[in-house]
Amino acid sequence: MNRFFPSSARKALLYLTLALVTFFVCFPLVWALSTSLKPKSEIFATPPILIPRTMTLENYEALLTGRQQYYQADPKAAVSGPSPAAFFTRWFMNSMIVTIGSTLISIVVSTLAAYSLTRFRYWGRSSIPYFSLLGYMVPSIIFVFPLFLMMVRLELTDSLWSLILGYVCITLPFCMWLMWAFMRSIPLEIEEAALIDGASRYQAFANVVLPTALPGIIAASIFSMIVSWNDYLFGRVFMNSLDNFTLTVGVMLFFEGTHVDWGLLMAASVLMTLPMAILFMMLQRHLVAGFGAGAVKG
Amino acid sequence: MEVKLDRINKKFGAVHVLKDIDLVFPSRKFVTLLGPSGCGKTTLLRMIAGLEEVTQGAIRFGGRDVTKLAPRDRNIAMVFQSYALYPQMTVRKNLGYGLRVRKTPKIEIDSAVERVAKILEIDHLLDRKPGQLSGGQRQRVALGRAMVRKPDIFLMDEPLSNLDAKLRVTMRGELRKFHLDLNATTIYVTHDQLEAMTMSDYIAVMHQGVLQQFGTPEQIYNKPANIFVASFIGSPPMNFLTGAVDGTNIIVNGVALNLPSHAAALSGRELQLGIRPQDLVLTDQKSGSLPGTVSLVELLGSEKLIEVELEGGNHLTVQVNADHNTRLRETVHLKLKPDRAHLFDRESGEAVLRQIAA
Repeated sequence: MNRFFPSSARKALLYLTLALVTFFVCFPLVWALSTSLKPKSEIFATPPILIPRTMTLENYEALLTGRQQYYQADPKAAVSGPSPAAFFTRWFMNSMIVTIGSTLISIVVSTLAAYSLTRFRYWGRSSIPYFSLLGYMVPSIIFVFPLFLMMVRLELTDSLWSLILGYVCITLPFCMWLMWAFMRSIPLEIEEAALIDGASRYQAFANVVLPTALPGIIAASIFSMIVSWNDYLFGRVFMNSLDNFTLTVGVMLFFEGTHVDWGLLMAASVLMTLPMAILFMMLQRHLVAGFGAGAVKG
Repeated sequence: MEVKLDRINKKFGAVHVLKDIDLVFPSRKFVTLLGPSGCGKTTLLRMIAGLEEVTQGAIRFGGRDVTKLAPRDRNIAMVFQSYALYPQMTVRKNLGYGLRVRKTPKIEIDSAVERVAKILEIDHLLDRKPGQLSGGQRQRVALGRAMVRKPDIFLMDEPLSNLDAKLRVTMRGELRKFHLDLNATTIYVTHDQLEAMTMSDYIAVMHQGVLQQFGTPEQIYNKPANIFVASFIGSPPMNFLTGAVDGTNIIVNGVALNLPSHAAALSGRELQLGIRPQDLVLTDQKSGSLPGTVSLVELLGSEKLIEVELEGGNHLTVQVNADHNTRLRETVHLKLKPDRAHLFDRESGEAVLRQIAA
C-alpha cells in the first residue's frame, strides 16, 4: 500500500479527515458563540454571518444581571411572570451546588468503598464491583420515578438535596467501579511499607494510597461532574419552583414562549459549557500524566 | 535482638501453609529463609513483620511477645521485592517518611536522610522521584528507607530478584557489608541458594510449610538433614541412587562402592545414596566402580559437567576439570569419595549416615 500511497499523500488525507471531524464537532459551538455575540439585527441575517459585524455583550449582560431588556414574557405563554433570564445566575448556582455536592459524596464514598474492596477480605468483595457496574448500565429513566417516590416520602422534592442524592445514585456505581479498578492497580506493598515505617492505617491511606490514587479520583470526578451538570431528566422531575431549577431545565424555558430569543439562549449555552470546558483544560494534564504513571509499574 | 518463633502455624482458610515452625534467629546474625516458591518463607517473614496474622504460636523479639503487635510497634524495617517506594514522594521524602510519621524533629530527619544517602551513594538523587530511578538506584533507596530508622530487625524479601545478574553480585556483597555495619538481626528471604550460601551466617531451609533444616551454610551443604535439603542445595544438584548397604559398601547395580567405616551400622538396609557431582571420580579401575556411557558433556569454563548413563537407565552428573578429555558415548568408570557419600532413608528421606556420625 505504501508504494501506491506516498507518505505525503497519506498525511494530507489524515489531516483532511481530522479537519472534517473537528469541523463537525466544533461548528455548533462556534455558531453558538457567534450568535451570542450578535446584536438582534444580525441573528437572522441572510446570508448567515459567522463573525458578527458588531460585537455585543448585551446577551451576557442580560443573563448575568437579570435585566429583561430583550425578553418580553408572553402573557399567554406557559410560563408567565418574570423572564427566565432573571433566574439565570440562580440556576447557575443551583447547578454548581448539586454538581459539586453530588460529586463530593460520590468520590468520598466510592474511594473508601474501593479501598475496602481491594484491601479487606470479606464475603462478596469480588462480585460487588461488577454488580455496581450492572447498576450503571440500567438507563437512569428507569430509576427516576422510584427515586422520585422516595424523595416524596423523604419530603425532599423541590429541594437541591433531592438532586444531589439522585445524582449520587446514578454516578456512584460507575465511580466505585472506576476507583476499584484503579485501587487494584496500586500495589499493596507500598501501603505495607508505610505501615512498617510507622504509619497508622489512616496515615498510610492518606499519605500513600490517596496521592497514588489521585488520577483515578480526578477521572471519577470529571465523570460525575459531567453527568450531574448535564442532567435534564432528574431536574425536570424532582423540581417544581423556578427558584430551584438547574441550568439545563431552566434554559429550556427560553423556548417556552411564542418568541425565542436566540441570542440570549446561545449566550446561556456558552456560559453553561464554560465551567466544564475550564475544568477539563485544568485537569486534562493531570489525567494523562496520572494514567501514565499508574499504568507503568515500578 | 534475638527473634524467636514458637510453634508458628498459619492457615489460609483450609490451607495449612506453615506447620509448627520453631526457630531462633540469633541476635545480630544474618539468617536466610531459603526454599522453593510456595514453601511459606515469605508468609513467615510477613508474620514476623506483623503484616500477616499468626494462626497459632508466638513470636518473640528479645523475650518480648510481639505476636499481636501492629507493624509500627515492632521497630522493624523491611525491604520488599518490588521495593515498594512511595511513587508520589521524592527520594528524600521516601527516606524520611518513617521518621516523619514518628514526629521526629525536621533537623534530625534531614541529617539522618543525608547520612544514609551518603553511605548508599544516592545523595545526588534526593530530589528525584522513584519513577526517574534505575532498578539498582531504587534498590538503594529501599535499603536506605530501612536503614534510616535504626531498626532492631531488618527484614528482606527477595530484594535482589529484580536486578540484573551483574548488579546482583555487587549488591550481594554490599548487603553483607551493610549488615555488618548496622549490627541488626537480618532475616532474608530468597529462593536462590547462591545468595543464601554466600551471604548468610545461618540458613533455614523450608519446604511445603515445614522447616527442613537450620544451620550454617557449611552444615547445610555438607550435612543435609534429608533428601529435600540435599537435592535443593548445590548446583549442579546431588545425584541419587538406590542401593543396599553391605558392611562398609553399598551395592548399586551389582557393584560394591566404598562407604565410610561407620556405615557398617546400617548394614543390610536398602537406602538412597546421595553423591554430589564433584565427589564422583572418573577412574580406570574396572573393579569397584560403576560403568556407564557418556551421554552429555557441558563445558562451564573452569570445569566440565559430564552426564553418564548407567546400566538400568539412571543418570549421574560428574564434575571434572575443563581439560579432562571425555568424548560422547565413551564408556567410563565412576568411583565415589567414600567420606562424601550421603545416605537417606527411602521412606522418610531423613539422612541416616549423618545421625550415626553425630
